[in-house]
Parts: sequence; C-alpha cells; structure tokens
Amino acid sequence: MSGYSLLIEGVSKTYRGSTRPAVDNLDLEVRPGEIFGFLGPNGAGKTTTIKMIVGLLRPDRGRITLDGCDITKDPIRAKGQIGYVPDNPDLYDRLTGIEYLNLIADVFGVPQAERKRRVHDLMDMFELGGAITDIIQSYSHGMKQKLALMGALLHDPRLFILDEPMVGLDPRASHLFKELMRKHCDRGNTVFFSTHILEVAERLCDRVGIINRGRLIACGTIEELRSLHRTDESLEDIFLELTGATTKPETNGPGLTTDREGR
Amino acid sequence: MVRRRLLSLILAQLNMNFAISHSRYYYLKKRERLWEPILIAVSIGILAALLAFGVFRISSAYYDAVAAIGQGDLTLILGILLSQLVVLILGFVLVIAVFYFSNDLSILIPLPLSPAEVLACKFSVILSNEYVGLSVILVPLFIAYALKAGVSPVAYTASAILVFLALPVIPLTIAAVPAILLMRVANLSRRKDVLVMIGGFLFIIIIVVFQFFVQTRLPGPGEENEFIRRVLSAANSLVSLVGRQFPPSIWATRALGSAGTLPGFLYLILFLGVSALSLAVLFGIGNKAFYEGVVSGFEAADATRKKLLAGQFPALRFHQRSPARALALTEVRLFTRTPVFVLNGFTGFVMFPVMFIIVFLVGRVGESGLKDLWSLISSLPDIRAAGALVVGAYFLVSAAFSSIPFTPFSREGVRNIWIPMSMPVSGRTISLAKALGAEWMITLGSLPGVAVLEYLLRLPVGYLLSGVAIGVMISFAFCLWGCIVDMARPMLNWTDQQKAIKSNLNTALGMLAGIVVTAILGLVAKIVFATGIPGWAVVTGMGVIVTGILGLSLNLTGAIADRIWCRRHRI
Repeated sequence: MSGYSLLIEGVSKTYRGSTRPAVDNLDLEVRPGEIFGFLGPNGAGKTTTIKMIVGLLRPDRGRITLDGCDITKDPIRAKGQIGYVPDNPDLYDRLTGIEYLNLIADVFGVPQAERKRRVHDLMDMFELGGAITDIIQSYSHGMKQKLALMGALLHDPRLFILDEPMVGLDPRASHLFKELMRKHCDRGNTVFFSTHILEVAERLCDRVGIINRGRLIACGTIEELRSLHRTDESLEDIFLELTGATTKPETNGPGLTTDREGR
Repeated sequence: MVRRRLLSLILAQLNMNFAISHSRYYYLKKRERLWEPILIAVSIGILAALLAFGVFRISSAYYDAVAAIGQGDLTLILGILLSQLVVLILGFVLVIAVFYFSNDLSILIPLPLSPAEVLACKFSVILSNEYVGLSVILVPLFIAYALKAGVSPVAYTASAILVFLALPVIPLTIAAVPAILLMRVANLSRRKDVLVMIGGFLFIIIIVVFQFFVQTRLPGPGEENEFIRRVLSAANSLVSLVGRQFPPSIWATRALGSAGTLPGFLYLILFLGVSALSLAVLFGIGNKAFYEGVVSGFEAADATRKKLLAGQFPALRFHQRSPARALALTEVRLFTRTPVFVLNGFTGFVMFPVMFIIVFLVGRVGESGLKDLWSLISSLPDIRAAGALVVGAYFLVSAAFSSIPFTPFSREGVRNIWIPMSMPVSGRTISLAKALGAEWMITLGSLPGVAVLEYLLRLPVGYLLSGVAIGVMISFAFCLWGCIVDMARPMLNWTDQQKAIKSNLNTALGMLAGIVVTAILGLVAKIVFATGIPGWAVVTGMGVIVTGILGLSLNLTGAIADRIWCRRHRI
C-alpha cells in the first residue's frame, strides 16, 4: 500500500497521429481525506488524465494506482473504488432514473437496504424525487448531471472522481454538493475533480494541481502557491500567470513544483 | 441563397452519413487501424462484384427467356418493381429513424430553416443510402438489358442515369408520408414509442401482404409454360397486372426500353415529373407536419413529469441482482424501448409468422419459396425429428437476421460506452450479460414463429421442447460470439440509431455466420438421417452437439472477452 488514495507516477499519453503528448510524464499523489482540484486551460490534459485514472484510456507509460490497486493490472478492483462523473453526463436515455440507479447499485454490489436509504437521501438532496421514475430522456442537462452524481455516490466510493462537476448544477444543488464533497472527505474518502471555476477550487480544495500542455506545472495548497509566488493574488491570477507566461522553470521542494512552460 | 444553404446542409449531412471527414481524420491524418478500411473496402467490393455479376447473369438469362415471346421489357419491369418494393419496405423504418431519431435534430431545428429544408437534407441522406444499395442491382440489370436489347447507347445511358436517380423517390415518398403522419399522431400520445412500433409493424405487414399477392402472380421456377400463357393472355398479362398495381415501374421501363424515341422521352418525362411531384407533396406535408411531430415529441417527454413535493417519492422498487443479470436486464430494456432498434431487430420475428400464415391461408405453399423447405422435411423419414430440428434452426436464423446479437456494443454509441467501461466488471461478465439480454429477446421474439411451426407440423410436446431447447442453446452460443465480434470492433460513431445496426458490418457478418452455421448443422442432420438412425436419436445427438458448442462457446468467449475488454481503452 502506498498510503495514497490516488498515485500517478510518470504517466504519459500521446494520441495516435499526434506528435504532442496529451499528458506528459505526470506525477501526482492525492492523500486520503483530501479534496483535490485539478485545474488547467482547455486542452491541457485534464480529461485525458481523468479518463486514464478511471480506466477509459490506457497510459502509454507510467502507473496509476487507486488505494494501492493498479488500474491497468487490476482494473475491476480499482474501478470498484471509484465513483466517476464525466464532463458530459450522457446516460442511458431510455431508462428511468431509478432503473439507472438500480443498475449502478447492482454492478457495485450495494445491498438492498443500503441502496434504498442512500437513494432516498440523494433524491432528497438533489430534489430529483419527482422525476426519478421518468425516463432520463426527459431530463434537463442539470437533472442528468444530478443523476450522474447520484449514481457515482451510491456505493459510497473511496475515490470520487469528477470532470467539471459544477456545470449544469443550480446554485442550491451546487452548494449542497460542495457540502457533500466535504463530508465525503471527512469520512476518510477522497475527491478528485477538474474545474474551470477557480473560486470553487480556491474555497473547497485542500490542494490543487495545475496542468498545462500535459504537464503538471504547479501543485500544492493555495497558500503554498501564494507563498511560492510571494503574492496575495487570487488563484485566478496565479493560474493565469502560470498558464500564460513563458519564464524559466522553478522547482520548490517535494510536493510543490512549478514549471511555467510545462518543461 | 436558399439553394446554396440547402446544398451546404445536404453536403454536411452526406459527409456525416458516409463518415467522410471522420474517415479522413482517423485513417489519413491519424493513420489509425489503416488495415480496417482497406479490409472492409476489399470485402464489400468483392461481395458487391459477386452480387452484381449474379444479377447480370440472371437478368441476361431472364431476358433470353422472355424475349423469345417478344416480352424482353419484362426483365426491366421485374427488376425495377422489385427494387422499388424493397425500397418501400425498408424505407419506412429508415424514414422514421432518420427523420425523427437523428442526434442532430436538436441542432437543425433551431436553425433558421424551413421544415421542408430540414426534411430535404434528411431525405437526401436516405436517398443516398438507397443509391448505394440499388446500384448493385440496377446497374448490372440495365447493362444486361442494354447488351441484349441493342439499345441506342447515348440516349439509353442518359435515360438509365435519370431513371436510376429517380427510382427510389416515389416508394420513399409513399413510405415517408404515412411515417410523418404516424409520428405526428404518436408524439401526441404518452405511449408514443409503442405507437411507433405498432404503426411500423402494421405498415411492414401491409406491404408484405401486398408484395405477396403481387409475387404469387409472377412466375416461379419451373413454371415457364404457365408464365408464357399468362403473359400472352392480354386480359391477365403480367405487364398490365404490374402496371395496374404500380404504374411508375411501367413508365420507367418504357423510358428505358424506348430510349431515343419520342414515346421513350415522354415516358421519361412522365416518370421524372411524377417523382418530382411526389417530392413536392412530401415537402408540402412535411412543411406542415414534420416539425409538429418532432417538437411535440419533445413536449410530450416533458409534460409527463409528476410534480412531487419532497418526501412524496413514489414507492420505488429495489431488487438486488447480480451484475450480469442487472446488465442483461438493462440490455433488454434499452433495446425494447428504442423504436428504431425494435423495428429493425424484430421485423423478422413478425414477418415470418405473418408470411407463413398468409401462405397457408391462401393455400399456395407449392408456389412459394417454402416449397423447397417442405419437400426437404417431407423427404425425411421422421417428420417429427426433422420438425424439431427446423424449430431449432428457426431460432438461429432469427438471431442471425435480427441484428441483435452482433451489435450490443455498437448500440451503446460513443455517448454511452463510458458507462460499461467504467464499471468494475470483467469482459466475461459484460459479454455474458449482453448475450443473455440478446438471447432473452431472441427467444421471446421467436415464440410466435415457433407457434406457427407447431401449428403446421403438429409436433409432439417432447419433440417441440427438444427443438426449442436446441434453438435456445445454439442461438445463445451465437449471441456470445456476436458479442465478441462487436466488442472487438464496435461501430460507436453514428448519427442515428439505424446506422448503429443497419450500416454496421457486424450485422452482415452475423447474417453470413448464421447462414453458414445453419447450413452446416442442416447438412450434418441430413447425412445422419440418411444413415437410417431413428429420429429421436438424431434429435438427441444434435442436442449433445449443440450443448457442446454452447459449453465451448461460454468458456472461449469468456476468456476472449476478458482480453479484449482489458485492451479496449480508447473511447
């Protein structure tokens, strides 16, 4: 056991036909009980990284372990630890909401009494009760997003992985969801999510990682990033500076790195 | 301006339909799996060439037979009429799929376009698909006729091109108008999917019955004398019969047969004019009813929502199932709730019993294509044992022609494939679940056909159940292998659900495999019967063989599925 909920070691991925790696020699560790924000501009490699973490893409090089399970070598056990919500919640349109949740609960082996309690709790929280027996095709984008979140939380995953989770949520659901993420982590679980909403990352995350052109260019707490840049600037300013400027790389001790160009 | 806009739209639709940019990007730019398009193109090319050569030979032979009695044009009439009937039957489902279940409707409808413009670009997609299919039949037919009849080359070629282009228009319009009206009515109902399926099957049954009554008037093999007598009889000649049933096929024939003459030119004008008119009628109806059908579909979906206060949740059912059972159930639910899948997959299950019933109601077994089957069964020493094997074979043939077993991953599409891929289940479990779901649908779908067979063959219960057991086992093994093929090379990028199954090479592979396996098992049974072994022993032996095949398939496909599923990390 590595002691990390999520450990990414030297992971690279280049799509066929492309000369530039989408993810380039990425090292990252996320500890139990942590909310980790994964930030980066469009095309930086966030979604590629997340897809490799959940087993939708295979890395060309490197290793990803989830609670000690290698996602490539032992994918079934590793996937069993994960609750995953993609950036675009395309679900089975012809199922009803409850049928989808039951499918997920069956696949993850959630016992009957437990799933009943959790479904009711989550329906209450996301206010999806009135629509749960309707087919998903009739849901709005936000409702699909809520259902995808419910499905991902149903088995109380050790590692909750979300690609842009706030998109489509109304302010109330968004607020409740942030509380839920905190509570989830307080129970020793881990949340890893990508976002463009830097305020959310700033307020919610224990640590953030900034990726640009496939490389991790900064990683640490918000305070660590500020002290590194010797500034009181907001995360947005730091983010813009890191992803927009071209200056020489810097290294600042274990677990805290910056590399403005991703080199 | 409108013309340019329309042309741009149509070109974009055709680009998506034939995946031109997609192929260019993956095969030419990214150079991924270059062997795949080459292999597919070579395979399709060989098959198309063989089919075209066959059509050419049959058309030439047919021309020689009918030209002897001065009716050479019948070659063209038959070819054109049958092509149009096929377009008509398949066109209905195609129209519903492309007009109403395309992924891009929510993009097209908000654009500043008239319903007729959207309809026109969607119609062009259907038409282009029909051209591809028809070219294999009509081009060799037209060439064979030209060579035999000695036509004027320039005028005939020009007429042939125009006739070819206009040929699918009228039958597609005939299919499209009721489809638009059906969708308009169905979308007002809460049970719209059920209505679409019932309406679709009714239309197909009506056309099959119509086709049957036309075909029973056409000559069968070995009936040349009767055929000549009928043709020579002015009161009941085939030409006049066909002409009465569907005049455009006569106009098209006359336009080609008399190409280069004034009557030929007039018939060509008439054919093209009526085709254009039918298009105008379609677009006219479409302008009024197309958007209403599509938009009311969106409205009906939202209007069904029950407004509940917090805590007033409906009584929900929570049954715990194994992952395989849960996935199999989901497979069945997704398939049976998608009208386009049902209309494609279940058509055979509906058509076969209907055709059998019609054949026997009018007592024309001897004149139908079932003659060979009956003579084979009757020639066997034990009709009960042979009947049991026919029942078993029916499951396999139904499975092969349903397109259900060879498309389970393709049907997920690029939108949904992430769901099974991110689940903590093995390839073995996924493939078993999908095969179970497919088998469940095939078994249920085959039951009406089995009931009809039982009515005809009067099999004892033991033989009937043996036949069903053999059928279920062999079709389940078939489903397992179908899952493997589709898991290895799923067609995930599709714009409408029709493409996921009908434009999928896996479907054609499944049909071919089903025919080959049925033929091999049939041959084995025939050889064993010929040795004089008692019928019950043949059925038992076949049961043992099929059990062995299933056992082997379960083991092999599980292991293969695990390997493929682990490698399948690219979405």
